[in-house]
Amino acid sequence: MIPIRALRDCLDGVIPGVVSTCAPDGTPNVAYMSQGQYLDDRHLALSYQFFNRTHQNLLANPRVTLGLIHPQTAQQYRVHLTYQRTETEGPIFESMKAKLAGIASHTGMTGVFRLLGSDIYRLERAEVVPGSTLPAPPPAVDPLLALRTCMERLPTSPDAESLLDALLDGLQTHFAIEHALVMMLDPRRDRLYTVASRGYATSGVGSEIPVGDGVIGVAARERVPIRISHVTSEYAYGLAMREGAERQGMGDRLETEIPFPGLASPGSQLAVPIPGAREPLGVLFVESPTEMRFTHADEDALVALATQVGGLFRLFLAELELGDEAQSGIPREPPPAGPPLRVRHYAANDSVFLGDDYLIKGVAGNILWTLLQDHQTLGRTQFSNRELRADPRVRLPDQSDNLEARLVLLHRRLAERQACVQLEKTGRGRFRLLVGRPLSLEDMDAGV
Amino acid sequence: MPALPTLQLDPDLARFVTGGVSINAGSASAAGVPSLCRAFGCRVEPGTDRITLFFSPPQAADLIRDATASGALAVVFSEPPTHRTVQIKGQNARLIPLAEGDLACVTAYRTAFAQSLVFLGFTEAMVRTLLDCPDEALVALTFTPSAFFNSTPGAQAGTALIPALAPPLAPGAP
Repeated sequence: MIPIRALRDCLDGVIPGVVSTCAPDGTPNVAYMSQGQYLDDRHLALSYQFFNRTHQNLLANPRVTLGLIHPQTAQQYRVHLTYQRTETEGPIFESMKAKLAGIASHTGMTGVFRLLGSDIYRLERAEVVPGSTLPAPPPAVDPLLALRTCMERLPTSPDAESLLDALLDGLQTHFAIEHALVMMLDPRRDRLYTVASRGYATSGVGSEIPVGDGVIGVAARERVPIRISHVTSEYAYGLAMREGAERQGMGDRLETEIPFPGLASPGSQLAVPIPGAREPLGVLFVESPTEMRFTHADEDALVALATQVGGLFRLFLAELELGDEAQSGIPREPPPAGPPLRVRHYAANDSVFLGDDYLIKGVAGNILWTLLQDHQTLGRTQFSNRELRADPRVRLPDQSDNLEARLVLLHRRLAERQACVQLEKTGRGRFRLLVGRPLSLEDMDAGV
Repeated sequence: MPALPTLQLDPDLARFVTGGVSINAGSASAAGVPSLCRAFGCRVEPGTDRITLFFSPPQAADLIRDATASGALAVVFSEPPTHRTVQIKGQNARLIPLAEGDLACVTAYRTAFAQSLVFLGFTEAMVRTLLDCPDEALVALTFTPSAFFNSTPGAQAGTALIPALAPPLAPGAP
């Protein structure tokens, strides 16, 4: 049996595999395979792109012999497979479809390569083909050691925001991954919003993409890691920012108000879902200008990290329920002086503008609007996560909503904009609202 | 499998299959289990209907066993930079002693295939390692072609290159 790691390296490589099949009358057939995917130690999937002789043969005789070459050592392997079924939707299919688009683009086969299905095979036997080999180059990063070092730090994070920082710092320091971001799922709106990033000119915190869009959106929808070694425009994100867009009746036109921070010309990308209790909490996304940057072992490590981050996030959410109430009896702080700033809130999408500047929308926008209202009418500056969760004005989609992530988003967005309103953490599940100048609140379409 | 008419390669096809192309041959056991092996070059005897491929015996044990038992062979020739791919189906496969010039043919093949792949960013050491086999160990497997197919990826893949002489598409087309 060949080591799984070697088999995965072969399937990841740019050297196409060769498939030998046999017709019922004994006539052999040899064909190239564009893409293979390791599924588990007993199964792999090969791309089905054309109804060709290979496919006709395996419907009649399911035995297949697959020839593979290790991309670094030139070691040849032969894998004996039995065809089981073809999948035309779902996680395996979507993951292979995204990869095939990259392979097609890389090999000048865009428009020729199209995934009709993922052929699932049972692995019967694998053999090492005798022959000369080259020594395997040592990996630049030992993913298992990097994972261990990175994982050790995560549980020491006191809250969601520092957890995300620890994650992204760890990827940079231990995995040498320079471009990374975390998006969280807004299940009610079927969108993902950026809460933290590293390695981009602008952080993109608050930028959004629909579930199902690009590698991140597909990873979230299918709950499967997607790793692309040759990135193609088919799965890229629009980076254009709509400067000075008409802001009245905004609808979803604010989608592009905060540009997605991705690389303009990525070579490799890897999106890993952060598991939640039911749907994923979000997606960890890394990319690089270099093609073939992320290995299967990197994917393993990031899946392990994302699983730990998901668990810790859920722990923070559970702890919120135990968080302290806002302390009453704190003296009302003196109102700030200076000319008032107009703050507008549009109920249609809960967007909030500070002066003429768009700040935030959605649940995070509602949270801010609720805080500002209480500050204005009651003079309050101290709040707790727990009371926000219960406040009907915040209109959380449901009790399990990731309020913590929305507060991270709001905090970062206010800090980045150097707004006259800031949030400051004062304890577990508690924070203080800092208002630097008088505000004039205007609910623009409260009746909507 | 049914007996098929044999064919000769036209000069363009002969040039293609003896150039710096990737060569993979397949056969199958009587039980229908496919075998597969990479070849280290191809010789086309001018004026004959025979094609000869060179293999490393330890690598090709299953293929040689199956091909010499059934006589059936399928060979894919593919040019990596252009993706041009041709599959030749054949019969009467048998081992023959290496002829004069065969070692030179394998040596020339290694150089041509390495050039083709170095152009695509592979190292020459990688290609030469892949094609490494002691001269004295090389074996020659010869067969008579019965059908040529265009296997270049795309809508035309699987079409017979010489429709008038080729057998009907089923069974045995790529």
